[in-house]
Amino acid sequence: MMRFLVLAAIAASFSVPAWAVEVKAPLERIISDYIVPASAQFANTAAGLPDAVMSVCETPGEGTVASLEKVYAQTVFDFSRIHFLRFGPLIENDRLSRLAFLPDPRGIGQRQIRKVFASRDAGVLSPDSLGSKSVALQGLTAFQLIAFDKNGSIVLGAPGENKDFTCGYAAAIAQNVAAIAESVARDWANPDGYRALLLSAGPDNERFRTTKEAVETVFNGLVTGLIVARDQNILPALGSSEAKAKPRRFPFARSGNSILFLKGELSGLREALFNMNLQDLTPEDFQWIFGSLSFEFANGENLLEQLKPPLRETLGEDGSYAKVSLLAITIKSIRDTLALELAGALALSGGFNALDGD
Amino acid sequence: MRWTATSKKPFSRRGFLSALGGLAALQTFTNSPLAANLLDKRAGDDALLFASAYKNTDGTFGIGILDDYGQVLARISLPGRGHGIAVSPDKSRFVAFARRPGTFAIVVRPFKDAKLDVIVSEPGRHFYGHGCFSTDGRLLYAAENDFANAKGVIGVYDMSGDSAVRIGEFSTYGTGPHDIALTPDGRTLVIANGGIETHPDRPREKLNLDTMAPSAVFVDVESGDLVSEHVLDKTLHQLSLRHMALDASGRVWVGGQFEGPLSETPPLVAVFERDKVPTVTRIPDSLAPMLQNYIGSVTANRAGDVIATSAPRGDRTLFWRAETGAFLGAQTIADGCGVAPIDQGNFLISDGNGALSVVVEPDEPAEILARPPGISWDNHMVALS
Repeated sequence: MMRFLVLAAIAASFSVPAWAVEVKAPLERIISDYIVPASAQFANTAAGLPDAVMSVCETPGEGTVASLEKVYAQTVFDFSRIHFLRFGPLIENDRLSRLAFLPDPRGIGQRQIRKVFASRDAGVLSPDSLGSKSVALQGLTAFQLIAFDKNGSIVLGAPGENKDFTCGYAAAIAQNVAAIAESVARDWANPDGYRALLLSAGPDNERFRTTKEAVETVFNGLVTGLIVARDQNILPALGSSEAKAKPRRFPFARSGNSILFLKGELSGLREALFNMNLQDLTPEDFQWIFGSLSFEFANGENLLEQLKPPLRETLGEDGSYAKVSLLAITIKSIRDTLALELAGALALSGGFNALDGD
Repeated sequence: MRWTATSKKPFSRRGFLSALGGLAALQTFTNSPLAANLLDKRAGDDALLFASAYKNTDGTFGIGILDDYGQVLARISLPGRGHGIAVSPDKSRFVAFARRPGTFAIVVRPFKDAKLDVIVSEPGRHFYGHGCFSTDGRLLYAAENDFANAKGVIGVYDMSGDSAVRIGEFSTYGTGPHDIALTPDGRTLVIANGGIETHPDRPREKLNLDTMAPSAVFVDVESGDLVSEHVLDKTLHQLSLRHMALDASGRVWVGGQFEGPLSETPPLVAVFERDKVPTVTRIPDSLAPMLQNYIGSVTANRAGDVIATSAPRGDRTLFWRAETGAFLGAQTIADGCGVAPIDQGNFLISDGNGALSVVVEPDEPAEILARPPGISWDNHMVALS
């Protein structure tokens, strides 16, 4: 942060992006070119989940299982590409926590699900009543716990005394997820919705008095996304050493979708950031930042390409622990470049406590 | 039965939360969907609860009440940014203060009264964001600014009635008081005078950095008399003494914020006793330059033998052995600032990115328990039970 302050001072004394003239372009671009299409994509994929559940439950077999695996994996992937947008439509009405209850290191979801099964709680069998239950019971993480076994195989639709109940619950989750995804996409696409709030900064806007504040909300959201990607989604699984690694702590490890999730998260963060075209507002002296960011993102995405799913089984093979460790370092480096260098160059403020303590 | 009639001591988790549920009807509280479920699940146990001020990405401010899983159980809206929270000794109520130079404090008494009591600071005074209760819970002491005279005062409030009544004030014998704490015998108030002069007309401006003179003072709460006053070496006159915690032996640990050049790395944590010369701790050379000379929160663990000091500008929280002052280790937590004791020897740390992390061993990675979407936890967190 020291560098940030120094850079901020330099930026202030030389050429500052003209936030004073209310530059809305980065916001318009990230909304139109990334957030709206990525949200629509997620809604579109999630809309296929209820049918895939129904098929596997009505006619269990290789074909329907493979199809559910595919739709679920694609839904997780498309979710990973928007889950870091922790502002506006995605966080209204607890939507993000209802879509996926993360992190959950103490297994709250698992315990609540056990209780649901023990009592055959019919409240989880319709999307409406499920929607008023604990957020940990409602989304893709709960779905993973009931539809997949520990080895990553789909057990939904398998014969047994729990079959109908599990199928009913899985169908309710699928419909709930599809409905929430649809709401998020609709709200982001609504020209009078949150996007209007972001784009109408000014004295009459209760939330954003200046465009700079609106840009900071989005930009700091991406920085937080990078912190989540490393500190929450990777480091707990790596543990303090290879011997102490806990690969089941990667998000969506049970269903074998961890690498997919991490890929979607990182590529999503890159696309969201680069869609803002912040180059246009960055002084000449700091243009190197974008080359550096591209290079680091490419490094991270290359590392992910080299990993073999499912990570909960393969972590430790073929130097994969070292690769994931390097990925964590790479993401930290991206975060620092963003939060220290680029924020400084653009005179954006971040770090709630760091910046403005007392 | 009215909920107000149901909850008597001891304060069970269920009683506490049903009380908050009652307040929810006033639209000041909302329960997260998870809350009821967790409540059902763990009814009857007196699980740990915490409170912290927060900022929401929608621009609003509030106080969040959370459990030891990091799940937010209830929220209280605030009219502006909050800061410190004083918890009564019997844990039956707490007071959330506005951040300086705020003029409100909210009294939450979930077991006694559905109505939130609001304390508004006296004309000519504003709050500094911290306060504490007397040992019997009858009085509230609040750090305040007599800004016309640039003098710190402690406002004294009688909390025994339905609403708080300001019954007097005494001097802090310094400028810019910030955190305060009562000694274990309840007779002496320790006050960290930050030394920085401010005026509400220029809300966040520091007016006397060249001449600032911070101090830690011990004041008799009965008479308001100065018992003892300590200042650090004069080379440290720009180390604003701000937040504090008492260890098991009653020593006062104070974290500072250095207003001098960033090229210097002075000590930032000092230990005070009423009748002894203060000492400072030694921050390892490898860490010192990272911290930007800024300590956020100072908190003792439940046993009082380990002290945590957060340094949000360096993304670090440092741990100290209370008895010896020895450095134990540091945790990396991005924008981590609020620190509360949890379990027997551990700490819960909140951060500006919304996470709640548990630190068990100073040198093992912290465990992120939860990250409620949209929330930036503000500077301080307290244990409510």
